Amino acid sequence: MTAAVAQRQRADRLRLLVQPIAVVVLVGGVLAWAFGQDLDSIERQSLNASSLVSATWDHLVISFVVTALVLVVAVPLGVVLTRRWARRAAPVFLGIATIGQASPAVGILVLFFLVSGLEGLWAAVLPIAFYTLLPVLRNTMVGLQGVDPALVDAGRGIGMSAGTVLRRIELPLAVPLILAGLRTALVHAVGVATLAVFVNGGGLGLLIDTGYKLARVPVLITGAVLAVGLALLVDWLGAVVETYLGPKGLR
Amino acid sequence: MSFWEFVNDRWSRLLVESLLHVSAVVQCTVVAVVIGVGIGVAVYRSPLGSAAAIALTSAVLTIPSFALLGLLIPVLGLGAKPTVVALVLYGLLPIVRNTIVGLAGVDGAVRDAARGIGMSRFGVLTRVELRLAWPAILTGTRIATQMLMGIAAIAAYVRGPGLGVEIFAGLTRAGSANATNQAIAGTVGIVVLALLLDGVFAVIGRYTTSRGIRGE
Amino acid sequence: MASEIELIDVTKRYPGVAAPAVDSVSMTIRAGEIVVLVGPSGCGKTTTMRMINRLIEPTSGRITIDGEDTLSLNPDRLRRGIGYAIQQAGLFPHLTVGQNVATVPGLLGWGRSRVSERVDEMLDLVGLDPAEFRDRYPRQLSGGQQQRVGVARALAADPPVLLMDEPFGAVDPITRGNLQDELMRLQAELRKTIVFVTHDFDEAVKIGDRIAVLGPQSRILQYDTPEAILANPADDTVAGFVGAGASLKQLRLRRVREVELSRAVTARVTDEPAEVGRRLVEAGREYALLLDARNRPVSWAHVRHPGQPRPVGDSVSLQSTLQDALEAMLTEGGAAVVTGARGEYVGLVEMDAVIGTVQKLRGDHAEPAS
Repeated sequence: MTAAVAQRQRADRLRLLVQPIAVVVLVGGVLAWAFGQDLDSIERQSLNASSLVSATWDHLVISFVVTALVLVVAVPLGVVLTRRWARRAAPVFLGIATIGQASPAVGILVLFFLVSGLEGLWAAVLPIAFYTLLPVLRNTMVGLQGVDPALVDAGRGIGMSAGTVLRRIELPLAVPLILAGLRTALVHAVGVATLAVFVNGGGLGLLIDTGYKLARVPVLITGAVLAVGLALLVDWLGAVVETYLGPKGLR
Repeated sequence: MSFWEFVNDRWSRLLVESLLHVSAVVQCTVVAVVIGVGIGVAVYRSPLGSAAAIALTSAVLTIPSFALLGLLIPVLGLGAKPTVVALVLYGLLPIVRNTIVGLAGVDGAVRDAARGIGMSRFGVLTRVELRLAWPAILTGTRIATQMLMGIAAIAAYVRGPGLGVEIFAGLTRAGSANATNQAIAGTVGIVVLALLLDGVFAVIGRYTTSRGIRGE
Repeated sequence: MASEIELIDVTKRYPGVAAPAVDSVSMTIRAGEIVVLVGPSGCGKTTTMRMINRLIEPTSGRITIDGEDTLSLNPDRLRRGIGYAIQQAGLFPHLTVGQNVATVPGLLGWGRSRVSERVDEMLDLVGLDPAEFRDRYPRQLSGGQQQRVGVARALAADPPVLLMDEPFGAVDPITRGNLQDELMRLQAELRKTIVFVTHDFDEAVKIGDRIAVLGPQSRILQYDTPEAILANPADDTVAGFVGAGASLKQLRLRRVREVELSRAVTARVTDEPAEVGRRLVEAGREYALLLDARNRPVSWAHVRHPGQPRPVGDSVSLQSTLQDALEAMLTEGGAAVVTGARGEYVGLVEMDAVIGTVQKLRGDHAEPAS
């Protein structure tokens, strides 16, 4: 196991270094290429600074709202499900979340759209949040369950209440795993948010879809590469946060 | 039309799509196993090589599948080709990572003993190391398959085969009578197939893992 | 079947390291002997051993087995002809005990029935019942049993040479002692050429026909029989490694049958106490040994109260070491009773005999300091 951990840490350090450089080169290169083309009027409608920024912005909004939603739902749910009195409900919720993740993202998105009749931001955010719930929920539970019972015992022994033990001992120790789960969720969200275009939620998927439907390759490629760059960038930011914001004693 | 009537009505078509879906995923998984294990075997002795292989494949995994499919259209066109390439690429990470972890986890004493009693390097790899890493490789393959089942649905967008066709058909016919039924059939069908495939993996694991290393 | 191994100026250098790991080692390992390479950890003893089967390739120098240069052979084929047993056995966890033992015969292309016969024979040889153990997996065995399987696997193809790298390093002391005894019993039967690496000098003394005490870079500090090294360490480093109590350790190398036994005044347990007392006064001795009808020692009777005999506690056999005899003397008070194969009285070992043996060993191995 230690060899595997060391392996992963080396890989993480490598990505920490190389990934942002790759993103800048990739996105810069493609933008330069796209704007260097002789663009027709249809292409110009999609490939201009303001529409690129707004598509990226929509994409980020969806991703961050999803992550915030997951954070406020999954972490408290994970805390509750690891309390002694609620432990028996844990398999039910984990089961639902597992099925959620085993199901195709595009299917959930389309189904929710058809059934709810919603459109736009919330039509994208709610199903994506459901889809990305599992990693955070599971990591929160694993993190809390992994806290040495002796520490909880010691906390109670020196007179802390159950709430204080949770706040001062259990949660801080589970933070690295929760952060790792959030990073996974955020990257998932950025990926699935490309599908938001199918429910009129905008985002970079819109460029891909437009480029595909109207057979405009520069639009298609720009949208796709921006989505790739954004995903890699968000993943990198997650790695930075994980590396530098975890509790110091546990790093 | 109720959902069950719908399923009854389109049964043969849904069956064909299910078969195509599973067959695409299984075939791409097989290719990914061959390539992924190959990469794992090539790099696992070198820490830097292992780190690079894991970093690269996990970066690939962060790429949104819709974006990758989009990028493949201008190069490979529509249909099976971009679907296969995307599925194989996404399947690589868990397989490469687990191959490396599994091979690196082989007890040094066992490897040394195998060399010491006169097995060739190739013999040590095929008769000892890969056998011991097999449970890990199989787990990686299982994870990959589950993931590919979902990604294959998106491939319908580039005219790839499978149950994703139903989901996108439901989307384009939003408002019509059977739109929701189609989306449900596609989504639930994929979940059911994924669970079935998972069961198949459990059986494969049981019959291909030595009793001496099972249950760890 | 055994082979002579010769190392000639064998050196191993690793790139980027100034000092060689093994520096110009030359030694001859005679056919049919157990040679123990012993030295502190990191001294290069394992490296030296691993160069014999070319798990590590020497940088320079030659190694021959029965005169044949090992570098002229295909390394895999070379290794199939050399038994190899290591610490923690290194058994293949995914194969059964039988399949593990069958590995090398399989590599050599033996027929199926010959292999399975051989597997049973080997398991028998190392004291494991084939019917019970053949189809088990390594994780279902104790550490000691795993080591036995490791030895069986090493011997399966009947190699003339056996390399053992701290093979008993990972088991508890009692099991370790048993495994050492077993190895010596096996060796008495098989007479292989065995190169055995350990950092435990006591283990080296117990099992080695010859010991090579190695210093840094595998430099040979002394290469001689255990008796000679104990009696006369070549220098202070060897003396330090031999450790305190060298003379006591020598007692482990000598058997009771090698010393002159003395005779006790004996009587039957059925004899009259007064008669026993009279005979003791006549002989000028304090104690008489009372024997039963089959000549087995039962108790000691003192000259002053022959009617209240004290039972015999520890006795030793002719095969016991002098250390065992000394132990018995200390608990029995003065002399240890020696018994034969059926428990019958043979004689006594007394303190003077032990002291005399140690002094004679010193004298035999005393050489002018070089």
